[in-house]
Amino acid sequence: MFANLVHYGRLYLRLEAQYIKARMNYRVDFIVSSIGMIFSNIASLAVFWVLFHTIPHLAGWTFEEILFIYGFYLLAVSPAQIFFDHIWQLRYHLMEGTFIKYYFRPLNMMFYYMSEMVDIKGFAQVVLGGAVIAYASTQLGLTWTAGRIGLMILTLFSASLVVIAILVIASCAAFWTLQSYSILALAFRLREFAQYPTTIFDGFFRFLFTYIIPIGFIAFYPSQLMLRPQEASWLIYISPVVGIALFALAYLVWSVGVNSYSGTGS
Amino acid sequence: MAIIGVKNLSKHFKVLNRHEGLLGAARDLFSTDYRLVKAVDDISFQIEPGEIVGYIGPNGAGKSTTIKMMTGILKPTEGKIEVNGNVPFKNRQKNAQNMGVIFGQRTQLWWDLPVIESFKLLKEIYRVDQETYDHQMGMFNELADLKALYPQTVRSLSLGQRMLCDITASFLHNPKIVFLDEPTIGLDISIKARIRELIKELNRTHNTTIILTTHDIGDVEALCSRIIIIDQGHILYDGDIKRVNQLFGAYRTLRVQVRPYKGEQTIDQVRQTLVERYGEDRDFTVRSREMGWINITFRQDEMPLLEVLNYAMSRLPIRDVQIVELALEGVIRRIYEGALQ
Repeated sequence: MFANLVHYGRLYLRLEAQYIKARMNYRVDFIVSSIGMIFSNIASLAVFWVLFHTIPHLAGWTFEEILFIYGFYLLAVSPAQIFFDHIWQLRYHLMEGTFIKYYFRPLNMMFYYMSEMVDIKGFAQVVLGGAVIAYASTQLGLTWTAGRIGLMILTLFSASLVVIAILVIASCAAFWTLQSYSILALAFRLREFAQYPTTIFDGFFRFLFTYIIPIGFIAFYPSQLMLRPQEASWLIYISPVVGIALFALAYLVWSVGVNSYSGTGS
Repeated sequence: MAIIGVKNLSKHFKVLNRHEGLLGAARDLFSTDYRLVKAVDDISFQIEPGEIVGYIGPNGAGKSTTIKMMTGILKPTEGKIEVNGNVPFKNRQKNAQNMGVIFGQRTQLWWDLPVIESFKLLKEIYRVDQETYDHQMGMFNELADLKALYPQTVRSLSLGQRMLCDITASFLHNPKIVFLDEPTIGLDISIKARIRELIKELNRTHNTTIILTTHDIGDVEALCSRIIIIDQGHILYDGDIKRVNQLFGAYRTLRVQVRPYKGEQTIDQVRQTLVERYGEDRDFTVRSREMGWINITFRQDEMPLLEVLNYAMSRLPIRDVQIVELALEGVIRRIYEGALQ
């Protein structure tokens, strides 16, 4: 088991090192897409800034607090973006029949599939998210005790799992429909709602985003725990369970998909 | 002890009966009108270690479906399948460790990486130790002389070069079984010959079992001692290639280009030349389907190919010749007509 983990770890590093080397051949693409990513995030931040110039609070949340949630959101979506970026290509591989090559190696298929791509600009996003959180917490006078840091890591871990799981489940629709783009786009849109306090939504959506498609767990509930622990619902304490359970479900859906795919004729 | 055992194996697919037109497409959305397609229907065979078996059949015969079941992609609807002591669908990873696969024209090497990096990654994936790796790479070099390709990225290789790399890569971890699906499709004659030579050597040196699916009877003739012919999900023939060889070779077609070309007059000239040598009653035809080219079709057992070629070359002003590849469909039709009974 442990030897296996070491094997996979080493393999992943080698695969990614090669992948990054190969991507460097397309330097312009890397630079342009990184700049694009940074600008689109700055645009989102600008929207908040403009918004809070006209209204002082959003459902009782201040500008700095919203910034904190946004920073948390950026960190939470980064692992999905960095390590699971290949999932966006799944429907092409399934349609073209190129997916069958992933069956032929003595490797876990999800690992092998995802290892073929790593989104380097996601690391820039981590830096940006960290900076936003650092700024917001300084403004809010938040002290980073060991306990708080531990809590932050734990909630970020489960939030990342939620993001990954939603993305994987939505993409896996392609195993059955071969046209999963609309579902994937919907999941991507829904994810954007995670930037806002779930409490700004009314009853139906709050219920939806908490229990059905739990995007509240991506940024809002964990941030609430950091910023206003007295208001935080008990739900946040089960967030690691939610993250792990949702990822397990996503893995199950993936496995069922992999086993039911028959490929194209050759 | 058989390395592959297949017993009463079937794979059925449910396929929607599609309707025509826009209205039909809308109806299909809610349709439950399925028909059952028996891609593979109750087949059995055993393959011994070290054999090269040609698994052949026309398009849609069930070749790929069988290979997909043997490699663990598809779960059989019915029947048993055992590869190297494993049930492929249940032990896919374990099975993959002892298997090499070339599937269609899709490379399994890393598209953007230099060839040598793909080999190094495969070494890691299959946990090949350094000694074995060096030995295998040395052998590949001797057989295929690939060194010059190592620094090139896979995307920049020609189809033939890529296939050579793909095939050697599939042997890197010294697998017990290698599945080769159409390894020579779309390649020119000289590279086809190189690939066949390479496959033969790799089989000989490591006693690797090879399952070869192909449309090209040339591949089968060059490599296999045993063939399995499948059509419409059923096994039509399983046995020694010698018995079917006569079928393959029964009729051959030689294409010649005669200069100057004067239409009917030239065709008659060719026909007369052959009649002079073989007489009126031999079973051969001479006709032209394409400007400038004349097809001579004859029975191989009555008129050996090389003899006809040499004779024609000595008597006629021939500019160019082609030996037409045999079509599998013709052979299958003849088996149905009872040619093997």
